[in-house]
Amino acid sequence: MASESGATAVVLDPKSDMQSSVPKLGANSSLSEEGLELNDGTGEGEESVQPNVDQGVAVPAGPARPADDEILLQENSIKAEEAGKMEFIGDKEPLSALAAEYERGNEVFKAKIQKLGETYGSIRRTRGDGNCFFRGFMFAYLERLLHSQDKTELPRMRDRIERCKQELIAIGYTPFTFEDFLEIFMDQLESVLPEEGQPISLSELEVRCRDPNVSNWAVMFFRFVTSAEVQRRAEFFEPFILGLTNLDVKKFCQTSVEPMGEESDHVHITALTDALGIPVRIVYLDRSGGASDDALEINHHDFVPESAPESFKPDTSGLLTLLYRPGHYDILYSL
Amino acid sequence: MAQLDVNRIQKELVEIERDKNSGVSVTIIGGQLSRLTGTIKGPIGTPYEGGIFVVDITLTKSYPFEPPKMTFKTKVWHPNVSSANGAICLDILKDQWSPALTLKTALLSLQALLSTPEPDDPQDAVVAQQYLRNYQDYVTTARNWTNAFATGDRGLQEKVAKLVEMGIPAEAAQAALEKAGGDENAALEVLFSS
Repeated sequence: MASESGATAVVLDPKSDMQSSVPKLGANSSLSEEGLELNDGTGEGEESVQPNVDQGVAVPAGPARPADDEILLQENSIKAEEAGKMEFIGDKEPLSALAAEYERGNEVFKAKIQKLGETYGSIRRTRGDGNCFFRGFMFAYLERLLHSQDKTELPRMRDRIERCKQELIAIGYTPFTFEDFLEIFMDQLESVLPEEGQPISLSELEVRCRDPNVSNWAVMFFRFVTSAEVQRRAEFFEPFILGLTNLDVKKFCQTSVEPMGEESDHVHITALTDALGIPVRIVYLDRSGGASDDALEINHHDFVPESAPESFKPDTSGLLTLLYRPGHYDILYSL
Repeated sequence: MAQLDVNRIQKELVEIERDKNSGVSVTIIGGQLSRLTGTIKGPIGTPYEGGIFVVDITLTKSYPFEPPKMTFKTKVWHPNVSSANGAICLDILKDQWSPALTLKTALLSLQALLSTPEPDDPQDAVVAQQYLRNYQDYVTTARNWTNAFATGDRGLQEKVAKLVEMGIPAEAAQAALEKAGGDENAALEVLFSS
């Protein structure tokens, strides 16, 4: 995987997701006992299964399974409820806001947050809808460029995206399925690094990154890039994917990368950071270690692609940093 | 999107139109791109072979972030399709949908579902039980339904012709076949019992 810092790499557990609140229908979820008995009665009788539309008697209605519409409606209402609680990207808050969450909580967390305060000053929360890594990554990246105004980044990223595009076509994606998503992301990049005129303001960037018509499209762009990179280097990623799931590389991309709301773990992060050449530091806030331990360490893992430009690398102020708590990513800011 | 993503849908329709060998097609109902009709050829070597299955497609304003709503308009005897109302149980039409998919890939997935039923995750429990316990009966029923409902006029006309050869007036033959859901033997029973 990406090169490691001195700190211990923590293997993320993609299944420990506290945020995937959308219920998934498992096998047999709607098979009631009653339904099974009904089958016993009708399964044997040949006549009863002969087609007979007019009389309608031979068309047994199985036990009602929720229709697609109903399931979607339920999912949407959960999403709407979630949206009411939290923007895709929150305001920048002092780290004490994080400490407040754990006031009555676990001692290890409290001790770690205090320790975190030695290095980091602020946090920006993201909505826990399974897309938080991508949303956090995008905002952190664009915000960084808005401040640095590093004009070399625009041509570099254009070149990267062109390569991703060719890769997607080579794998067999039809251009129209990804081009719109890519354009929306490029629009944002060009707005923070305009070739002429003034860049957008930070508050405008916040507005855009809270707009589903921008944020969701950009998330989908990242999902395409991630999927293309995983498939391009299938041999490299295969053992890691097998360690997480029992899916092959293609199926993993179809089920765990490309659908919206599927969470990111180290496979996604490695693929995205490598494909775009942007390093990211993930700081882990978990229960490991004891509260009284004087040498309490906060683990982090640096994903540093070889091709990364110097300005984004660790030990520079340009390093993008996300805070990971099991199942969720927020943005962290250095003091 | 505040409104239907017309641009995307039109590109999809053009692509489907261009690839006529895919075995699926999509046409617009009326003038609105939100209501479409798809067709799928029954896969060869399955009880659905020879059938053309019509699928109702509804697109919301959130498409392609929300999956297309698809139901079989043609009656299908299949563990993952409701025999009563055509509702479909397929993961990519629900939580496994991705904007990376298209109407074409969704219809191709439906075609694949016809080839490989998943009785352990059924939409129609009765069909699923039959599939698991009396597989041969399932094949027979599914094939009868295909012949009755999915072959359009062609299938029906062939059967009418057969009955006419047996000396039955064409009109009576057609009426009996319709009453018997396209099953020839059942149609004969209808004719001879009345």
